[in-house]
This record gives sequence, structure tokens and C-alpha cells, in this order.
Amino acid sequence: MTVKKLKKAAFDKWVAACIGNQRVFGVQAKEDRFVFAPLANAGDLRLDYDVTILPPKKYFLPPRETLLKFDRKEGFESVFDSQPFVLFGVHPYDMVAISQTDKLFAMDQYDTHYFDRRQKATIVACDVQNASKEVFAGCMGTATVDDGFDILITKIDSEYLVDIRTEKGQALADTIKDAEDADEMSLKLRKLVWADNTKLLQKHKLNVRPDVLPRLLDRSYEHPVWEEKAQRCFSCGSCNLVCPTCYCFDVRDDVEWSLQKGQRYRVWDGCLLSEFAAVAGGHNFRRNRADRYRHRYYRKGKYIPEKIGEVACVGCGRCITACTANIANPVEVYNKLVDEGK
Amino acid sequence: MYKCDSKKDIYLPLPATVGKVQPMTKYESFFSCQLDSGEELGHMPGQFVEVSIPGIGEAPISVSSSPTRKGSFEMVIRKVGNVSKALHGLAAGDKLFIRGPFGTSFPVDEAMKGKDIIFVCGGIGIVPVRSAIQYVLDNRDDYGRVIILFGAKTPHDRLFIEELDKWREEKNVTFLETVDHRDENWSGPEGVITTLLPLVKVDKDNTVAVVCGPPIMYKFVIIVLLEAGLREDQIYLSLERNMKCGVGKCGHCQISNIYVCQDGPVFRFSDITDIEEAL
Amino acid sequence: MSKLKVAFFDFACCEGCQLQIYNLEEEILDLLELVEPVEWREAMSDQSDDYDVAIIEGSITRIEDEKRLKAIRENAKILIALGSCATTGGVNKLKNNFEVQDVKEYVYGKDADMPHLDTYPTKAVNEVVKVNYMVHGCPINIKEFSYIVRCLAIGKEPKIPDYSVCVECKMKENVCRFEYGEICLGPITRAGCDAKCPSSGMWCFGCRGFVDNPNVNAAEDVMAEYGKTLDDLRGKMLLFGSKQEY
Ligand code: SF4
Ligand code: SF4
Ligand code: SF4
Ligand code: SF4
Ligand code: SF4
Ligand code: FES
Repeated sequence: MTVKKLKKAAFDKWVAACIGNQRVFGVQAKEDRFVFAPLANAGDLRLDYDVTILPPKKYFLPPRETLLKFDRKEGFESVFDSQPFVLFGVHPYDMVAISQTDKLFAMDQYDTHYFDRRQKATIVACDVQNASKEVFAGCMGTATVDDGFDILITKIDSEYLVDIRTEKGQALADTIKDAEDADEMSLKLRKLVWADNTKLLQKHKLNVRPDVLPRLLDRSYEHPVWEEKAQRCFSCGSCNLVCPTCYCFDVRDDVEWSLQKGQRYRVWDGCLLSEFAAVAGGHNFRRNRADRYRHRYYRKGKYIPEKIGEVACVGCGRCITACTANIANPVEVYNKLVDEGK
Repeated sequence: MYKCDSKKDIYLPLPATVGKVQPMTKYESFFSCQLDSGEELGHMPGQFVEVSIPGIGEAPISVSSSPTRKGSFEMVIRKVGNVSKALHGLAAGDKLFIRGPFGTSFPVDEAMKGKDIIFVCGGIGIVPVRSAIQYVLDNRDDYGRVIILFGAKTPHDRLFIEELDKWREEKNVTFLETVDHRDENWSGPEGVITTLLPLVKVDKDNTVAVVCGPPIMYKFVIIVLLEAGLREDQIYLSLERNMKCGVGKCGHCQISNIYVCQDGPVFRFSDITDIEEAL
Repeated sequence: MSKLKVAFFDFACCEGCQLQIYNLEEEILDLLELVEPVEWREAMSDQSDDYDVAIIEGSITRIEDEKRLKAIRENAKILIALGSCATTGGVNKLKNNFEVQDVKEYVYGKDADMPHLDTYPTKAVNEVVKVNYMVHGCPINIKEFSYIVRCLAIGKEPKIPDYSVCVECKMKENVCRFEYGEICLGPITRAGCDAKCPSSGMWCFGCRGFVDNPNVNAAEDVMAEYGKTLDDLRGKMLLFGSKQEY
């Protein structure tokens, strides 16, 4: 559609207007890190952030989400209770992850609970201004993004380019004042930002093209790295929970004190957790830590790519930071498979 | 983003009513149920449903009856977890809730048509396979020879006792069974199920094998079938995994790149020989 | 449905876990719709041997305790261990790091050998009798306790997490204590408290006990990477991890 150019003051006014008109979640500081949280003041928005602790998936697939309510006599009823919202400041790698999750939740069986939230979101993406210390999106082709969002913001010097792509985006941008259309020069500069980001967001370097990963993994099932690394794995699942492309869940029931009514809800789960593949009766199909540890790398590098044609690691680096045992770095593991396969 | 007109909530279970409950063994009970909507379940042999008891939870259960037998569907429920224990407390007229049917089925209308069929069932493996056996018997003319091999741990673990006798007496069915450990009331053969295989002659080019049983059984049965000259693509089996959502989302049933709830539970053996973790 | 008859018994502990139950406030009325306390020293004066569920708080530290506990087990259909003292031995196990006689002398001075002060190395309840359900934590998480009671009331096995505190901590989007160079026992500690401590800026000191299969060796390994020693870790584990069985 159009690309606008706003000075800092006009940009802040627009953010304030957005907050005035609807529910906005935006990136803010939390202690020494950043998080997506309800945005009350335009001044709290931190588009200069490096990475958030949790990815924005928490708004589409909340850590705990009620799917159904029930009455033990009458049965079940679907629960859809989300409200429209704006998500401000989604980085390109997270945007790619959201688009992947969209595909997976639409595939074969359409998940109305996920899409109820997803369709109510207006996504304002923004190009990365500061690289986090573990990011490697540049190697995964996700340092920049060209679709999925409603608006893309790029900061050029002290000005903001606001690239409006959809009708939802246009509706949100209606409150923009004091803006001019972006000139040729700014658009050229934006291309430079993109090129730079691709280089800058490579704190770890993957020694192989991402699309080769499925074939690399094909021959690495028995590689010693799984056993070796997993010896230090706590099975804590942190690497799963913080990952923008992980979407596994468990489903549970809880009754109210009346014992008559209650809820069926889903909660985040992770394939690294010890009981993930256990069936009723006790048999656990992935009892060994190493089997679970390996499963994550296969899921990111082979299984999901075979389903949707894209590698399911977007290089955000969150798992690297989150793993207290310091063994969850996908680049390190994949590179090891490359080296030792030679 | 993906748009879809579907308003259908894939997690919403529909009400059904228990028609009949019958204890079968110490742990297994037989249930016959009907959807309250009055519709047929619409399953094919080998598929499963997710059965809910509100407040307790949901569990994957194989459908044990053939869609050729209209009016109700049947399940065998083994007491192993919260849901199955609660189901054992139900009586005729009680409600339960159903999602599905889900997953793949035995190829009764495709690969099995016109062929000799050998069913190999160990223990509760008979439960999903019974659906296919009934289907084949109800369309008997569409198939060649029918051989049924059944093995239970002990005589007390035998399921569908009356039906086993019927199959034994059926003229154009070869039925053989064994128990791993006999007791004083058992005069039949003793030994693991693989001991039955050499007793039947199979036309190796014209036979489809349907195998279901505990994980440990598959390896041995498959070796014997391959030795008898069957190819990997003539063998079908049904796998068990931790199936939560049944619709390919939750990730629990995944083995390598397949989702047992969608790509299975019935697999052609040749499709999973390369898949680690499968057997 | 008839109410479950419940009896509370306390052994060596601070009784803080029972206090959590009074703290249910309005909800305590809901609780009393489902259960009927027949013995509850802190809340009522009646005593009775007629109960379905025995709730045991505290650790076992004396021979007499053991006898009393076994008698309770005989009487109860269901036995629940309430709080760390009961589920793992809790802080009371600290003393198992020392010789009993030294502990007695340190605590009681010259009265150490008086018979009524006799004590032996602390045991968790399940080291003496069979426990049906454990409500972990010091103190317990009252939400989890309530959930367990409701499960029992509708005849379902409660699901107690066998994953680490990190799972709940991540869901709350806390900044990990390790990022501040602190040692946190979250990765080897059983979840179920909603990551209470890391959510209020503290490391987890492991009050809910280990997960079923904690990778303690890994924890020791990992210390080096954070410039810590094994002793730093052991120091942290002392409070709740002393002589814990796993
Ligand atoms: S695997 Fe790690 S780096 Fe890759 S997307 Fe997930 S959290 Fe980010
Ligand atoms: S975060 Fe690290 S320690 Fe925890 S499960 Fe993942 S790999 Fe294992
Ligand atoms: S577990 Fe903690 S709070 Fe509960 S009684 Fe023991 S010391 Fe007190
Ligand atoms: S603060 Fe502790 S519990 Fe939380 S993620 Fe870090 S190690 Fe785990
Ligand atoms: S965070 Fe750790 S110490 Fe704190 S309540 Fe939970 S288990 Fe106990
Ligand atoms: S059961 Fe959920 S993905 Fe198969």
C-alpha cells in the first residue's frame, strides 16, 4: 500500500493514539530484559529492544488457554473470549515464526481457537535496531521479513518509516498525523538497513545453508553429539517454552468447587520434558534424555521442514540464553554435524 | 494468514450414550454407544475416537466394531488411566463425549480387496482389528482366504470369547489361537503368537497381513511374515502413542516426522521401515 | 455424595502448611462442602478415629512418632503428606548432615540427653509408611492442595508436575536468576508452585523437592560455567536437598 515517513514526535503521537483507541501490547523493559506487555504509555514502548524473553506466540497460544467449559451433566461448550488487539514491535524472525505457526494450525485440521486470536490481532512488525547477544537470524534468512505483518516499521536515523501493507494496517495508520510519503532516498536507506541486519544478526554462524538441514539430519541420527550434550540436560523444557516455533501443548480438565462445572484448557508443553511421550499405563516412548534432546533438533531441522517447507528455527537465539546448562545452541549442534560428517 | 470458513471447533466433544457395558476381563470392559445426534459415527476399521468424561479428561480409544454393523459403535476400554477408570464406572444410559473418528484405517476397500487376508493379533491388539475382521466377514465375497491368528497372555486375557468361537466355526475362515501361559482349563496350544504362523500356508504374492499387538510383538511377527515371503508393503500395522489432541497439533504422538494421530494409527510397514522410533 | 472424613495430624514442623489452608478464606466454606474434618488440632477440639483421609504434616524425628504414624496409616484409606517436612523431610533434614548427638547438644545444651528430647535422624513420611498423595512445598501451594482435594472428590488421580520449576518460571516470563549470576535450583526442582520465588526476584531453593529424575550431576557440571564451585551448589541444596532420596 503506502510507506509513510514520521519524525519521532509524530511517531510517538501515533502510538499514543493507538493506545487510546484499542488494546495494545508492546515491547517494554522488564528488569534487564524485554517483554511484550500491555502498553499504557507511548513512552514505554522500546522499539530499540534486542529480543524479548518470550516470543509473541503467547498472544496466540497463551501459556494456559481455556478451550471449553463443561457441565458434568450437560457436556461441553466452546470458549472463544478474546478481544481485538494490536501487537507492537514484532521482530522479523518472530514474524516468520508466527507465519509458520499459522500454517501448522491451519493444516489438515483448522484450529479455531488459535485463529480466533490470530485474526483479532493487528501486527506491527519492526526491523531490529539492536542485535541480541545470541541472535543468528541472519543465517536463517529471517533477519528481515516481507509478509505476514500489517505494518512494518523501520527506524532510519531519527525518523520512522511506516510501511502499511493491509487494510487492518491502514485502519491502524488512520490516526497518523504529520507524515509525508517516504521518498526514494529513505527507501534506499531502508534497503541498507536490511542488508546490514542480515550481516549483524549473525552472532553465531551456521556453516551450512538452512535448506540443507533436513539432509544433514538424515544421516546424523546416531551421531554421538546427542548423548554427549544430553548428559547435561535438565529436561527443564526452557528451550521449548521460549521458542517462537514450539507449539506443543497438553490438555487438562479442572472442576470448580461445585464439582459440577469446570474448564478444559491447554497448557504449553515441551518435548524435552520427561513425560512428553508417555502413554496411559506408563510406557514412555522417549524415556532417555538424549532421545528427547535429539527430537527438538530434528523437529526444527527436519520434521517441520518436511511438513511446511521451512526450517522451524528462526534464529532468535532465545533457547541459547534460556538453557542454564548451555547446551541448547542449534548452530553449535548443527555445525558439529557438518564438521564431523566430512 | 490462512483464512478458513470452518467454524468447527476441533476440540469440542459431542454427546453420546452408553447402550451396553460388559466386563470382559479383570481390566477390560466392553462398551456399545450411540451418538446422541442419531448419526452414525462414520468411521472405518482401525480408526480411533477421543472419549471424554467432563472433569476427568480425554483418552484415545480404538473403535472395535465395523461400520457395516449400524446403529451403534463399540469400544473395549482397558483400565489404565483416569479416563478409562471413570469409564468403567459408567452404566447403560450414562453419557460420555466423543470426538472423531480420527486417523487412518486398514485398507479394507483398497489394498485388501480381492486378497487373502491374515490377521495377527496379540492381546488387546484384537480390539481395533476386530473392526476389520467384521468388515471383511460382512463382505466375505470381496476377499480371498481369511486367516485369523490370536494370542493372549493367559486364558483369562482372551477377549471377545464368544466371537472367537464363532470365527473358529466359520466355514471359510481359518482361526488359530494360542496362549503364552496355559492353565488347567485350557486345552489349546501354548506358546507365543509367532508359533502359529508356520501352521498356516500363505500365498505370499496374494496376501495382505494386518498386525496389531503390544510393541514387543511387532518385531517378531514381522520377521516371520517376511520370512514367509511377504513384502513390506503387504503388511499393515496399528501403532500406539500418547495421543492427546488427535488432530495433529499437540505434538505428543509424533514419532520422527509422522503424527500417529493423523498419519496413523494404521501404517503400511513399508512406509515406516526407515522411520526411527517407530517400532 | 457423602463428604470425605478428614483428619489432620502434625509431627515435627512449623504448622505453616495448615495455616495456608485457613488462608483459603471464603473458599474454606467450599472446601468444607466436600470434606468433613473429624480431627484437626489447630481448628477444633474433637478427636476421632473414624476418617477416610489422614493428612500428615511434618517430619518423623522420634521413635514414638513412627508408632503413631503407623497407627494412623492403619486407620486411613488415603494418606496425604502435606508440605516439605512431610514429603521430603524438608528443613528438618538439615540435621541429618550432622551426628545426632552433636545436634542434640547444640540445640538443647546440657539437657540433650533428657528422654523427652530424644530424637533420631529425620525421616519423610514415605520413609515410614506408604503415602498416597504428596502436597509439596514449604509452605504448600494452596491452589494445588485445593486441586488435589477436588480430584479426590470426583475420583481422579491428581496430576502433580514431574517437570522443573523452570517451566512455570518461563511461562511467567521472569528474568532467569542465572542471568544475574545467581544459582537457582529451579532446573532440578519439581514445579507446582507457579515459580513463586523467581517470580518475586529470588532464586528457587528447592522447597518442593527434586523432580523424579533430577540431573544432579549436570547441575554440578554446570556450576563451573557460571564461575561457581560445587560447594556453592551444595550450599544452596543444603536447606531442602539434604539427604533427599531420588
Ligand atoms: S530453536 Fe532457539 S534459536 Fe531457533 S527459533 Fe527456537 S528459540 Fe529461537
Ligand atoms: S533448556 Fe537446556 S537443559 Fe533445559 S531441556 Fe532444553 S537443552 Fe535441556
Ligand atoms: S513444610 Fe514448611 S511451611 Fe509446611 S510445616 Fe513444614 S516448615 Fe512449615
Ligand atoms: S530463574 Fe530458576 S526457575 Fe526460573 S528459569 Fe531460571 S533457573 Fe529456572
Ligand atoms: S520456587 Fe522453589 S523454593 Fe520457591 S516455592 Fe517454588 S519450589 Fe519452593
Ligand atoms: S495427538 Fe496431538 S498431534 Fe497427534
